[in-house]
Amino acid sequence: MGGGSITTVSKNEFRKRDLFYVVPMWLLSLVLPNPVPHRKREFQKRDLIYLAILVVLPLLWRDFHFHHLMVLAGMNAISALGLSLFLGYTGQISLGHAAFFGAGAYTTALLTTQQGFPSLLAFIISAAVSASFAYVIGKPILKLKGYFLALATLGFGEIFLVIVRETPGLTGGVVGISGIPWFTFAGIVFDTYLKQYYLIWGVLIGLLIFSKNIVRSRMGRAFLAVSASEDAASTVGIPVAQTKLKAFVMSAAFAGFGGSLFASVMATASPESFSLNLSILIVMMVILGGMGNLYGPIAGAIFLTWLTDVLAGFQEYSLPLYGMIFILLLIFFPEGIGTRLGFRIVYLISYWAKKRRREKGKIE
Amino acid sequence: MSLLTLAEVTKRYEGVQALNRVSLQIEKGTIKGLIGPNGSGKSTLFHLISGMERPDSGRIFFREKEITSLDPHKIALMGLGRTFQTIQPLGNMTAVDNILTGMDRRLRGGLLSCGFWLPRIKRSEREALKEAKGILEFVGLLGRWEWPASQLSFGEQKMLDLGRAIALRPELLLLDEPAAGLPPAEVDALSKRILKLREDGMTIFLVEHRMEMVMEIADEIAAFHHGEVIAEGSPDEVRRNDRVIETYTKGKKTHA
Repeated sequence: MGGGSITTVSKNEFRKRDLFYVVPMWLLSLVLPNPVPHRKREFQKRDLIYLAILVVLPLLWRDFHFHHLMVLAGMNAISALGLSLFLGYTGQISLGHAAFFGAGAYTTALLTTQQGFPSLLAFIISAAVSASFAYVIGKPILKLKGYFLALATLGFGEIFLVIVRETPGLTGGVVGISGIPWFTFAGIVFDTYLKQYYLIWGVLIGLLIFSKNIVRSRMGRAFLAVSASEDAASTVGIPVAQTKLKAFVMSAAFAGFGGSLFASVMATASPESFSLNLSILIVMMVILGGMGNLYGPIAGAIFLTWLTDVLAGFQEYSLPLYGMIFILLLIFFPEGIGTRLGFRIVYLISYWAKKRRREKGKIE
Repeated sequence: MSLLTLAEVTKRYEGVQALNRVSLQIEKGTIKGLIGPNGSGKSTLFHLISGMERPDSGRIFFREKEITSLDPHKIALMGLGRTFQTIQPLGNMTAVDNILTGMDRRLRGGLLSCGFWLPRIKRSEREALKEAKGILEFVGLLGRWEWPASQLSFGEQKMLDLGRAIALRPELLLLDEPAAGLPPAEVDALSKRILKLREDGMTIFLVEHRMEMVMEIADEIAAFHHGEVIAEGSPDEVRRNDRVIETYTKGKKTHA
């Protein structure tokens, strides 16, 4: 992944038109994720800048539509972050993450409407339910590889939907469950978009810190080792099957958190929200955002949620436009939105440095 | 009992006899060399010992326990490290992370304790990093510690693989052609490193094509041909063995 792009950059000669990219690229590079995949896995100073922006932005930009979009983006980002641990770090594919998202949403819906559980407890149980669901499914199917794993995960996503539709007594069938109470914690009812924004992004930041810790510890190295070479991983004593299962269960738990928040915020849970579309959207968020680091999927989630909203205005043209934008992005940013730009910037800086040294006569 | 014992190990691939009733023993604290022409079953033997493949018959014992058909990671956890003939650097990580991955056996912590970054995880990660840098220094890559493994040169990646296997602190280290493709100066450095490892108490089983290197460092040599052991003994004995001479000279004639 990283290797490929480096060679392409070093083969390319400097072009004059690169100069036009410089200023916007530099600005973007301040915002976009660290371009070098898997290298800097510790916290950095720029993380504080991200945090400050996230806290202050909704207060400065007091637009309900923007708050609502960010709430949606946050929920998607939680699932995408979980999936990136499985897809980006462990190198396995799942096209059934909507099922875990759905399992979380339905668990919260059932527990809060029928059993009267407090939101926080329902929230935690939802993740546990999704995780145990993933454990049961993952144990047999994670032996599969590549396309076969993709198909198997796609299959259980569909099975989940069928089960939900065919058990109206429990899940409300096609209609779903509505009237789910707002998320309530310590006396605060999260009933406005602004409050929900802070709730969801707070959870996301917590999960991000958790993932970051995973990634910089022996767990993260085991994930990366399994993705790079299963043979090499097993010869240093890393149990390949168990490591994949851990990553899968963890990503499902994240999706369960996302689904639970979805239920509390949207106040409904119905089957069409958890279809294959959602699974593919989550995968696209991870791929478009960049699999090389943890900020990629979050950037991807914000971008795709925003794009879906903008394109909704074009009505029947929205799908072709969507497709076109995807294709262009995958052609020009194959390693994710953040990655390619970063390499170009590094290249430009080194070009200028060389040029200056050459002018000073240090290089013949 | 020896550290590693192979008893009548046999392996067939679709009609080809890769290994035929191979019996070998490796004593603790020695360097054993394994020589033989291409396709004589040396790498197959390594795959069987490390659990990547299963023998058709025969048994393998390591540290007096049977490891025949055990999962590779379980064999590794018992203290058996190996490198591959085709290098397997973990290209998505830095050099130092490759070494840290090798140390995984000695680190503790599950998903939750790692995710919450408990003080003991923090401490063990810090200590592990220090040790990993020591191992990188030993294999001569300390200056490259933050480089992505995919951007190291072939020789450096080869040394990185060795470092990752050493990081396991194995009792027995299987080296599959560690010197193949290295320039002579690096081969000398490698020989010194292997001898140093033995001094520290590691047992080494070495497959190598460079005769002069094997003859120089090995305590005992086994010669392989068509999946059978044709000679075994000290380097001098093997060098003078008629069947070994015959095998190697015949090989040269067909090449010329």
